[in-house]
Amino acid sequence: MYIIGENIHIISQKVKDALTARDARFFQELAVKQVEHGAKALDLNLGPRKKDGEEVFPWIAETVQAVVDVPLSFDSTNIVGIEAGLKKITKAQPIINSTSAEEERLEKVPLLAKKYNARLIALTMGRGGIPIGSDERVTIAIEKLIPRAVEIDYPIEDLIIDPLVLTVSGCQEYCPECIEAVRTLQYSWDPPPAISVGLSNVSNAVPHENRPLMNQVYCAMLMGGGLQMMIADPLDKELWEVINAIESRDESTPVKKLYVKIHDRIAAMEEITTDDVDMSDPGQAAIWKTIQILLNKVIYADSYLEQ
Amino acid sequence: MPVEIPKDKWNGQVRVVTLGATADQGGTRTSTVTVGGETTMPFMHFEGEIPHRPVIALEIKDRRPDDWSSLLLDLWSDKADDPAVWAKAAEEAGADLIQLSLSLTNADGNPTTPEAAVDAVKKVLAATGLPLLVFGPGQADVDNELLVAVAEATKGERLVLGICEDKNYRTIVATAMANDHLVIARCPMDVNLSKQLNILISDMGLPLDRVLMDPTTGALGYGIEYGFSVMERLRMAALQGDAMTQLPMIVTPGFEAWKTKESKVGVDVPESWGDWEQRAINWETITAVALLESGADILVLRHPESLKRVRAAIEDLMTAPETV
Repeated sequence: MYIIGENIHIISQKVKDALTARDARFFQELAVKQVEHGAKALDLNLGPRKKDGEEVFPWIAETVQAVVDVPLSFDSTNIVGIEAGLKKITKAQPIINSTSAEEERLEKVPLLAKKYNARLIALTMGRGGIPIGSDERVTIAIEKLIPRAVEIDYPIEDLIIDPLVLTVSGCQEYCPECIEAVRTLQYSWDPPPAISVGLSNVSNAVPHENRPLMNQVYCAMLMGGGLQMMIADPLDKELWEVINAIESRDESTPVKKLYVKIHDRIAAMEEITTDDVDMSDPGQAAIWKTIQILLNKVIYADSYLEQ
Repeated sequence: MPVEIPKDKWNGQVRVVTLGATADQGGTRTSTVTVGGETTMPFMHFEGEIPHRPVIALEIKDRRPDDWSSLLLDLWSDKADDPAVWAKAAEEAGADLIQLSLSLTNADGNPTTPEAAVDAVKKVLAATGLPLLVFGPGQADVDNELLVAVAEATKGERLVLGICEDKNYRTIVATAMANDHLVIARCPMDVNLSKQLNILISDMGLPLDRVLMDPTTGALGYGIEYGFSVMERLRMAALQGDAMTQLPMIVTPGFEAWKTKESKVGVDVPESWGDWEQRAINWETITAVALLESGADILVLRHPESLKRVRAAIEDLMTAPETV
């Protein structure tokens, strides 16, 4: 699993304060920590920075690049700011996060990616918003995103399609569809583009204590669909345990065995049944309940685990 | 060529809830009303049972309302000055239930006191033998103050206390538990919040056969499609076996329809809109029937003519067609 570390994100108050203070050391420590925990790239989400993007993006790029060698992902809608940041990249091939299928963005952002030899995350989202159905999302990739890359002679191998994970709390019907979109996108082109999602989005607005479980179970399900890359929290040790169990087919504990089973069932397009789960084990029962929520079979409520 | 009608199979059932208590049940009602128990989507008689037909409440207030359409005020005329007289008239108009909505202030503009609220409820209980729903004015602190007094003064009646919301439900649930009443759990068109609130109320120890849910709906032309989808989703979950959504649904098409421009305004509208009163009644009726089709068990209306028309629709819909 190729994890793009998500932790340098402006939504965190600490990040916000550190940026205001231009606290280089804070960002360098957070960057090193994520890489040490397995991040293969780092997402830099400092918001749109309309006023000071041309100063902030180069600053963060140079600051982080001074201590790590991994690709940096500029996560913003500010094209001018991103370009200023890209000019400072001297190490790994950077990533632009993101373009959508909206005309204006699709016109400009891929050209910027080509000019600076950057990889490009492209969202399956058009002017009409994010479709619920997996087929509609794949259609946006096939009819809008990939053709634009072909049109400007941008290498498809550098394109990363993101079919968009939405929160289970409010957009529950999107959750099973995203797994299918991941599955289908692998066959969308030859050579296939990479596929990535923002995993933690699935648990936005979910009570803090329940977020890791939701993320971990969804990760196992998405991996069953074929996911090999995602923006996620590399500091979540339990998430890595799930990933490692699935990748190395480690069935040494009942919970690891269940995660491998979840992956296999989704991969084979089979239903996960109660026979796969030992309900007397509270950990497995919680995973089972979470699967039912993520497949949109049971309506999500904040207290779903106690039901 | 024989045609096979596809049928859905459900394994869940909506809870059966009884409103009101007769003398031998600890109350003073001359009859009770039972709703729920469905094992199929609305009116799909060939797929399951609908043991209790949807019922209609008429809404009255504790005093002549300031903000109701003049069409309604003219219709009820001086009956609206006395909740006992109004309740009796509503019963005579064919209501299965009476909803008494308490006002925030009295006619002089002073806050409604708990004593006045209790007085109004007792008058209505004396005037009609129908089960009663009592709604607070809609401000959390005032609702709690008035409804607790009402609940205590009418212990055992199995009144329906409205309303519980996610920010304010504990006090009302506690007094319903202590005094043998029912509650309404209301959420703003959100399946996740609806289910969560039902869980929270259940966690407090109130048996779920004393809870109704109001998913809120919007009126015809004002978001009813969204309300319809929310109700449909909740009911399908209930039939699939999700215990925390298996509550009968109460909706308020009278309140929703009578705040739309089409019902409220009689002047300066296009002539093609036609007769004002007919339009208003149509708006309320069509809103109500759409909600009936999305799974409503209790409809709260305001106009007696709408009641007649919705009642006719219920009769038709409850007549099972030839067996398929």
